[in-house]
Amino acid sequence: MYKWFLAWRYLNTKLIAFFGIASVMLCVAMVLVVLSVMGGFLDTIRARSRGLHSEIVLESGSLQGFPYYEEFQKYVAKEMPDVVRISTPVIYTYGIFRVPATTYTRPARVVGIRLKEYVQVNDFARGLYYERYFPGTTHLGEQSMPVAGLMDDGQIKLPEPLESANKRWRESETDPKTLEEFDRLPFEKAFFPSVTSVVPATRVFAVGAGPPSFEGAPKGGVIIGVDLLHYRRPDGNFDRQIARGADIALTLMPLSPTGNPTGEPPVRLPLRYADDSRTGIYEIDELCVYVEHDLLQHHLAMDAQPLEGGGSTRPRINQLQIALQPGVELNSARDRIQGAWHRFRVSLGEDITEMDERALAFVTAYTWEDMQRQFIQAVEKEKVLVTFLFGLISMVAIVLVGCIFYMIVEKKTKDIGILKALGASGKGVGGLFVVYAGAVGVVGSLLGLLVGSVFVWNINDIQDILASLNPQLRVWSPEVYSFDRIPEAVKRADAVWVAVVAVLSSIIGSLIPAWIAARVWPVKALRYE
Amino acid sequence: MNNTLLRARDIHRSYGEGPTEVKVLRGVNLSVPAGEFLVVMGASGCGKSTFLHILGALDAPNRGAVEFHGKDIFSQSAQNRGFYRNREIGFVFQFYHLMPELNVLENVLIPRMVGHSILTWRRARREAKSAAAQMLERVGLSGRARHRPNELSGGERQRVAIARALINRPALLLADEPTGNLDEVTGADILKLLVELNDAGQTIVMVTHDAKVASQAHRRVHLSEGVIRETVAATGGREPAVVATARIAQ
Repeated sequence: MYKWFLAWRYLNTKLIAFFGIASVMLCVAMVLVVLSVMGGFLDTIRARSRGLHSEIVLESGSLQGFPYYEEFQKYVAKEMPDVVRISTPVIYTYGIFRVPATTYTRPARVVGIRLKEYVQVNDFARGLYYERYFPGTTHLGEQSMPVAGLMDDGQIKLPEPLESANKRWRESETDPKTLEEFDRLPFEKAFFPSVTSVVPATRVFAVGAGPPSFEGAPKGGVIIGVDLLHYRRPDGNFDRQIARGADIALTLMPLSPTGNPTGEPPVRLPLRYADDSRTGIYEIDELCVYVEHDLLQHHLAMDAQPLEGGGSTRPRINQLQIALQPGVELNSARDRIQGAWHRFRVSLGEDITEMDERALAFVTAYTWEDMQRQFIQAVEKEKVLVTFLFGLISMVAIVLVGCIFYMIVEKKTKDIGILKALGASGKGVGGLFVVYAGAVGVVGSLLGLLVGSVFVWNINDIQDILASLNPQLRVWSPEVYSFDRIPEAVKRADAVWVAVVAVLSSIIGSLIPAWIAARVWPVKALRYE
Repeated sequence: MNNTLLRARDIHRSYGEGPTEVKVLRGVNLSVPAGEFLVVMGASGCGKSTFLHILGALDAPNRGAVEFHGKDIFSQSAQNRGFYRNREIGFVFQFYHLMPELNVLENVLIPRMVGHSILTWRRARREAKSAAAQMLERVGLSGRARHRPNELSGGERQRVAIARALINRPALLLADEPTGNLDEVTGADILKLLVELNDAGQTIVMVTHDAKVASQAHRRVHLSEGVIRETVAATGGREPAVVATARIAQ
């Protein structure tokens, strides 16, 4: 009993124990912060990656694409209605992105999608900016530029479809925070002091001198990766300098089914900025633009092209994104769809051309996890590595606890002698210091969990405060990490694991001093003054 | 009837080896009957405390045996020797050796705690606290139970040490210069307390070099050059109380 009693009493009265507690606390807090931030980072990456693709992606991995996709869509719809919910074709190519009103020109990955289908197979819709506040107004078809106008009563209003869409959104939005967020958007109220309600003005919409209207020749719409078009401020918000409906030009290089340039001059595609997309993955948002599938297919000469000897080529795509029925297991669905593809190819018989045969040979089904595996694994490895390194640093706690307990044993030599004189065994006295170290570990861990959790929960506020003192202190750059905010969730399992390891570390650290205490010769200890 | 509680046979103890070897005890023989108040005297450094530590199994002899109720304590396991120190022996030291983090009551309770696991303590706690309170009352410190050692005088600290030594009702109280660190009046008080305890049946072996203190014993032995040179019977008219088992009546 004395072991527990004295350990508790020493814990309360010995100042030196607080150094042990402090070292355990700091190590626990440090590892918990690293685990939480890296874990949160990984979780966010996984969640965002999940939203990039449909559950199953069928692709050939080649820019010239593969044919017979429409036939396969019908095939799986008929053969596997219990597995496949919907599928949609996607085309990928590369081009040059330009904003004609400026000198801004960048390379871009051009993605041809059928927007209505595409938003049903993945989370693309969630990242659309205008679609969020003006639901139902984003499309990739031909469109003119919406221009807000000044009304007779001094208010600025958008053209009718947009104004009523925003009203619908306001009425349906139940979260006051989101409404508040909308009201904080960088709309220029300052120019119109008489405006009572917030109305989007320049920057996000063009404003004209007359009544609200649509201006300019109709052009196909383009959804642009947000980081490609807008500047992301250090606080994570975007500085929107280009208004919706602005002219955009894409230059494309069509490829023949063999993969060679067609010989035709590059295609210049005039488009209008319909919306911007934010998947949350910086590498995608600074590179991708999305245009109407059929338009891109046509301009890349991937649609049916007449052949010299009569007949025509088969239209081609790069990817078929397939959404599954609810509850269907991902990997087994991939395998079944891959099997279906092989059966489909066999069903095509010998009639297909050699070129098509080659294109079809490499078509493979992947799950969304397969598609992002390399990226996710890299982050997973990074998490393990960083946790390991910080865990290694935390081993210092073991050494520190060892040193502190060695000092405590030295200081408590007389007490050890007294206890032995009162009948305590060497094992019992050693046990006292192990229990004491365990108590230091438990208290240090609990405090560490508290400090670490509070730190993680407020990590973004802390960073904001530091950045307000000196911008150089902003360590989490939204431009680099894709996310505006540092992940701020603490997982219970992580906390328990860190605490258990910390308590064990404290106990391990105390073993040598405890062994020394157990071997103290009581006579010598009692003469110790 | 054989009334011998403790017997030391041919105790040898030396420190160091080879040319630096110091032979402290060179064949000490002593027998302590139950109920006796025995004083071991001798010059500083003659080995009195070493002898006392060997009697209490805090130190081991190089040669010889210490028999308690006829059983050699050094032929037993370390665990049994711990049990012997906890249950059969009570130590009182010159410098009190109280634990500064604990209050008076807790200091007195520590030997009881040593004898219990955390599980058995739950049942024993109430009785132990009551025994500690009685013991403090007996040494005249019932009003000081919640004080820390640094809030007590030297005499009071020594009384706490005596209460702690007696909490497990040991057969033998070993006192190493218990008045050596106290002024004359306080020392006399402590001695009076020890005499009262002895009168109640407590066997005491005390080390001292103070002849005045020694005069209160039934018997005093002189240790010189590692052996007992002289045994002197009591001169103050005190005779050992007749006790069958040397336990203090509670």
